[in-house]
Amino acid sequence: MPSSSASSSASSPCFSRRSLLRSAAAAAAGLATASPWAQLSLATTAGASDRKLVFVLLRGGLDGLAAAPVPGDPSFASARGVLGEYASAPLPLEGPFALHPHLASLHALYGAGEAAVVHAVGLPYRERSHFDAQQLLESGGTRPYEFTTGWLGRALEATGQRGVALNTAVPLVLRGGQAIDSWAPSVLPEPAPDLVQRLAVLYQHDPELATALERARRLREEGTQATAASMAGLSGNVPSAPSPANRGQAVQLARKAAELMLRPAGAQVAVLEMGGWDTHANQAAQGNSQGALANNLRQLDTVLATLREALAAPAANGAWQRTVVVVSSEFGREVAANGTNGSDHGTGGVAFVLGGAVHGGRVFVDWPGLAPAQRFEGRDLRITTDIRSVLRPVLQAQLGLARDALDRTVLPGSGGLRDLPLLRA
Amino acid sequence: MNLSSAQLASIAAHRFGMGEARLTTVGGDARDWLLQQIGPADPQRADPSAPLVSAHEGLVRLATQNRDAQLAQAAAAARASAAALAPMAASGEAPSAPMAAASQPVAAPNDPLRSIIQGDVRARLATAATTTRPFAERLALFWGNHFTVSALKGNTRTVVGAFHREAIRPHIAGSFEALLRAAVTHPAMLRFLDNELSAGPQSRFARTQLRRPRSEMDRAPRITGLNENLAREVLELHTLGAPGLGLSADGGASYTQADVTSFARVLTGWRVPIQQILREDGSHPAGRFDATWHEPGEKVVLGRRYGEGEGALAEALRDFTLHPATARHIATKLARHFVADVPPPALVDRLAHRFQHTQGDLAAVYRELLAAPEAWSPQPVKLKTPEEFVISTARVLGLGEQAFQRAPDGGIGGLGQRVHAAPSPAGWPDRADEWLGPDAVWKRVEWSLRVAERLGSRVDARALASESLGPRLGDATRLQIERAADGVQAVALLLMAPEFQRR
Repeated sequence: MPSSSASSSASSPCFSRRSLLRSAAAAAAGLATASPWAQLSLATTAGASDRKLVFVLLRGGLDGLAAAPVPGDPSFASARGVLGEYASAPLPLEGPFALHPHLASLHALYGAGEAAVVHAVGLPYRERSHFDAQQLLESGGTRPYEFTTGWLGRALEATGQRGVALNTAVPLVLRGGQAIDSWAPSVLPEPAPDLVQRLAVLYQHDPELATALERARRLREEGTQATAASMAGLSGNVPSAPSPANRGQAVQLARKAAELMLRPAGAQVAVLEMGGWDTHANQAAQGNSQGALANNLRQLDTVLATLREALAAPAANGAWQRTVVVVSSEFGREVAANGTNGSDHGTGGVAFVLGGAVHGGRVFVDWPGLAPAQRFEGRDLRITTDIRSVLRPVLQAQLGLARDALDRTVLPGSGGLRDLPLLRA
Repeated sequence: MNLSSAQLASIAAHRFGMGEARLTTVGGDARDWLLQQIGPADPQRADPSAPLVSAHEGLVRLATQNRDAQLAQAAAAARASAAALAPMAASGEAPSAPMAAASQPVAAPNDPLRSIIQGDVRARLATAATTTRPFAERLALFWGNHFTVSALKGNTRTVVGAFHREAIRPHIAGSFEALLRAAVTHPAMLRFLDNELSAGPQSRFARTQLRRPRSEMDRAPRITGLNENLAREVLELHTLGAPGLGLSADGGASYTQADVTSFARVLTGWRVPIQQILREDGSHPAGRFDATWHEPGEKVVLGRRYGEGEGALAEALRDFTLHPATARHIATKLARHFVADVPPPALVDRLAHRFQHTQGDLAAVYRELLAAPEAWSPQPVKLKTPEEFVISTARVLGLGEQAFQRAPDGGIGGLGQRVHAAPSPAGWPDRADEWLGPDAVWKRVEWSLRVAERLGSRVDARALASESLGPRLGDATRLQIERAADGVQAVALLLMAPEFQRR
């Protein structure tokens, strides 16, 4: 497909003429071998059972135009004002698009053809409540509270595969008919097996407590076995690279996610959650180099680099080549800064898809433009791609999910959506 | 339904209260024991060596600390040679906590203000662990969560405790309108949800800002208009409820983006004027109206007109209180907290009707709840939150305040619930499935074992189980506790028994 010039599509009032951006050069980048990482990846053939899916859920509403600015859009500078000023230049992507300077690892993966950016993406929902929007992003419904289980939970129920939450609680997205593991670090001593056995007896008539206890016990037991089988370099106790204290935790969880997926018969799916994206005030201090949003983006970048590093390590047997990581938030934010150098809730945002299985180096977008008349309700980046167009192909490829299950139970009502060609054939 | 008085006492003690070591505490009339507790929450217990701070003092201490840190930083920057990258003053923003953590300290170890933060947490838990009015205490915790202010936002961390003491605890059994007004205009809330920064776009303040020349050295960000954070959450979380919750079915039309923006205009001017506060003695409320920040002109919210000025907020909050969606929202949350994760619709209807009929008289709503047969079902179904679990353990084991000596939060943070630091303005979830992650349950086991080990054999778990749980103690649990390998294991089994994990 010929690449369409973003500036012409941005200024075009005719929405039907907009098309997917995909430059030939970027498409070719998928075959690049010059990537510093390419040599680490072992090409293996594997069935769906070896494939991995990581969902990184950013709670609070990531400002998609801060994470993936569009300096080439004629309205960008005027629309964004102080939010669009960068002390160091944003990292260029194809067309008018770029990445926040703190997303350097993600940008390198993009350059290596292992990461794609999906812009102007969002839910089939146009209100601006965190809680409703997160409910939808996790449940996969079209109306809040329509479903009380999550799309990943239902997908795993359909395929019988394993999922793990890197948190004490299991987030809604993973809940379904099947029990899910969860893991978070602890400072307390492990209980003796005898106590756990007696508790299992106590829980005979309390299936919820019984299931939770049994899942936790088994995950620890497997961990002991895996360590005994010397999963060198991948145990959760490996000290993380030197980093500021508040980044250590996220890195530890990302490493643990990789370890739990790499165990024999380990989890197919892992979910990581990151909060702190609700940047109503002073989000863009010092030209986007300081402040909560900048710190969060740097941390997200470290988490993604850590996943890549752990899953592409020699002991991981080329797992990265069979992995897809999807990063999404419940909504984007208002295009213009609010009255306090922050941004209020909006609709359209950005998602990232990365992994060795991704046909990356591309920006998937049906760019609506940033001029006031092009915005949703004159205010937000208009959603032109449904997030389910991202999730559908990933679920089919990574979990081997049948279309029928996808259309009917996992993401009901999404059957008419186009699946974005995000993955390598 | 014919329940024995022991059954009623057990329900009163554990479901409505915070757990009792002996059901005899409840007395012969369980419902009356609860009715007598309806009223403002007890004053919080403070450690005499660390008196609790008011919002005024918390704000002053934080501002002083920030100023000192900035001066130190400026001095360091001046010493540094080049025009190098002197880090921007943190302005009190603590790093956000992006992921679940293992052992979350209540306050950062190097925070000079940690004594305030720890003191607030300790006072909250020590009070809950020792009060003789545990129903009132539970309601205070419920409303504190409904009107969440979180220390995760660094510049509110010294006023979260004061917020509960000043805005919540005195108002839990009066009118909802008074509680709402106290919560929304408290400096902690005005700051937590950014209203102190929100200026009317046409206000005198914003117009002056636009005329003011700006230099490169001007570090303070320019404020030019609205921040709708508080407006949205008052409508969505505090009063009418999210449009998506289906509350509008018989509660009338819910609100639109235009209502949010318009209500944000009503809220402009409600601020925390810190420079003024620093010069005062604390006899004035710290959250107050400043007309120079207020958007001029009339505003329309939910179809009603509000004039310009300070009085409009109280009028709007009164109208929100009387809105049928608010009655339903509050009724649903109360029924969910006391009865079931999915509350019986008939009970929600009755509570909502009582709320509406009394224009939000909370005591009347509590009496309706206590009269409801649904609230007295003998089967314990509600899973305790980590905080409820730890508080009830302290009460039942008679640990009192000592439970919070070593760690101010007694380890609740490690169980997945950082006290005074809820992850979002919606507060902590009140449904079992949010707390039933395998890792969450496992950590409760670890915590119970640690507590049991510290107690050693000082506690006879068999006697305690029967005195505290009474008729709710099932035969299987009784048998397991009797057959425990030792006293430590017996206590751990009691704490982890379904009869104690649920209420």
